[in-house]
Amino acid sequence: MAREHSEGIVAQLSLRGIRKRFRTTDVLHGIDLEIGDREFVVFVGPSGCGKSTLLRLIAGLDPISEGEFFLNGHRMNDVAPSRRGIAMVFQSYALYPHMDVYENMAFGARLMGLDKAEVESRIAETSRMLRLEPLMQRKPRELSGGQRQRVAIGRALVRKPDVFLLDEPLSNLDAALRSDVRLEIAKLHRDIGGTMIYVTHDQVEAMTLADKIVVMNAGRIEQVGSPRQLYETPANTFVATFIGSPRMTLVDVTRDGDRLGVANGGSVATGALPPGSAFKLGLRPDAVQLQRGQGGEGLTATVVYTEYLGDNAYVYARLADNTLLSARTTPNDLFAPDELVTITVAPGAAHYFSAADGRRLEP
Amino acid sequence: MPHLRMTGRGLWITVLIVPPLAFVALFIVYPIISAFAYAFFDWQGLRRGDFVGLENFHTVLFVEPYRSWTINAFTHNVIVFFALMVLQNGLGFLLAYALWRELPGARFHRIAVFLPVVLSTIIVAYLFKLFLHPLFGVVNISLRGIGLDWLAQPWLGQGSTALWALIAAQAWHMVGFPTLVFLAGMQRIPGEILDAARMETESEWVKISKIVWPLVAPSATIVFTLLFVGAFNWFELPYIMAGLDGSPYGSTDVLGLYFYRTAFGNVSAGQQDFGLGSALAVLIFIFIAAFATVMTLRLRAREIQV
Repeated sequence: MAREHSEGIVAQLSLRGIRKRFRTTDVLHGIDLEIGDREFVVFVGPSGCGKSTLLRLIAGLDPISEGEFFLNGHRMNDVAPSRRGIAMVFQSYALYPHMDVYENMAFGARLMGLDKAEVESRIAETSRMLRLEPLMQRKPRELSGGQRQRVAIGRALVRKPDVFLLDEPLSNLDAALRSDVRLEIAKLHRDIGGTMIYVTHDQVEAMTLADKIVVMNAGRIEQVGSPRQLYETPANTFVATFIGSPRMTLVDVTRDGDRLGVANGGSVATGALPPGSAFKLGLRPDAVQLQRGQGGEGLTATVVYTEYLGDNAYVYARLADNTLLSARTTPNDLFAPDELVTITVAPGAAHYFSAADGRRLEP
Repeated sequence: MPHLRMTGRGLWITVLIVPPLAFVALFIVYPIISAFAYAFFDWQGLRRGDFVGLENFHTVLFVEPYRSWTINAFTHNVIVFFALMVLQNGLGFLLAYALWRELPGARFHRIAVFLPVVLSTIIVAYLFKLFLHPLFGVVNISLRGIGLDWLAQPWLGQGSTALWALIAAQAWHMVGFPTLVFLAGMQRIPGEILDAARMETESEWVKISKIVWPLVAPSATIVFTLLFVGAFNWFELPYIMAGLDGSPYGSTDVLGLYFYRTAFGNVSAGQQDFGLGSALAVLIFIFIAAFATVMTLRLRAREIQV
């Protein structure tokens, strides 16, 4: 059960071969994952990849079909959600509409069997930290989205759980508020130091918040790693294109000596190459340079459009094999649609993936 | 042509609203108003006599034997109301909760629970009269069959059980209605709110009493108010199962039967008195209207927006 954070809680989660089946449909196909104490872990992936389902299995809201889940060495499969020492912040916040803010926070704390004074001191502490004090007598419907969010977090904090689960907590907030709350959550994690598992489909949230990102796709884990690891050494084409914005361009290339060629579209030198004669070349927007005109050495392309973003600009150009490539340029160097360009790649800046199964190839 | 459209729309509204309004006026508003008027006159059969002021009200409330009859019938209505509050609305709430939680067979039971509601009261009443027959009824045969002979009673034939037998039949008939209303109310509770509660407690009782019950308050308002009105207007089922006299010996008499007997007479007594009957009807109407209004206002106050 929950302990005082200041006394140094330990919360290690271990998922072993977790599968989830709804009737006949398999949603999770064997998840193995270790989550360490005080880590901020983000499950990220496209809609329907199973990240929310996995979170609900950890919470205990849905039963695990197969596999085992251990928390601090205790098997949790058959433990009721309220006894796992886990608190969850829901996407819709799920505040009790008939209770005011104080009652929403007190409800779970009282059910833990804490005495009145302890409940009150925890609520006082939490409401101060989350700046909820002026709102304590309000009902949820009288609160703004951001305020509801803070109450939902407060309700979880008051229980002093070992593990916090957050299910897309920012998705109901408007864009301006979203980055504020994101910072607050990061600060919160630093202050309270609990283990947090955060689900999002937004890779920017994942990159900015996580100690460890778990990229999921179609019920499987594609890669686990720090934001830097995922960005710099994506394990496969899925992770490569999911992390980073604009997304990495993947081009089918064939090897010609130390150069890589695109069908009828020129060739480019990218530095050291992995073994093999044909693979997918992965180019992030900052790995490529554009030169006006064609004829020089490089891949030939036609500009489709340019996104001007103030501090920099992104040019989208179509290669000879119809791949749409994105490239970062300076705002002083804008390209017009239909302009012909030549693309070169900075040595060592490219990624290589197997043409057969999309796995990363090291040069 | 917005003007033309409005006319067409207005025409539609008129066509749709006027017939039911006329119906309500003719069969509900007019009888209520006329009952108010009749109650202040002396009646000789169908012939209206002198204006007697509050005399009829005084008679039904304070002059024997009317006084005892009124108290007897009213007491029974009160019993019926509270009994059905438990057996019909209470059970309906629990059934709705069970159906809502999607226990195995929920789909079948949803239909099974609601099916009796669509049956005619006449069918239900006759069926239960047969079920409760002292010799051939399925209830007593079953009780004897499992060796509980001492429990086999002439359910409708003795004062101690007759009213409760009617209440049981009524509860069986209508329990699906509050169930359906509560179920609809529960289905409006966002799933994540129940999930949030599950994260904090594993006690079904806490979830029911602290989360679900307060959140289905609007449904409770509806079924409580309708049950109140229904319980004090109760007529068809006791009329069919126990007859106009509330047999045996007035032990199932309720205000509806008593009013009918008084206003239109019955086979055994033969007398009829529109004045006293109307006075009773007016008193019942005022009681129900006043109480239902207070009840609705108080119940509405505890509703919250989800």
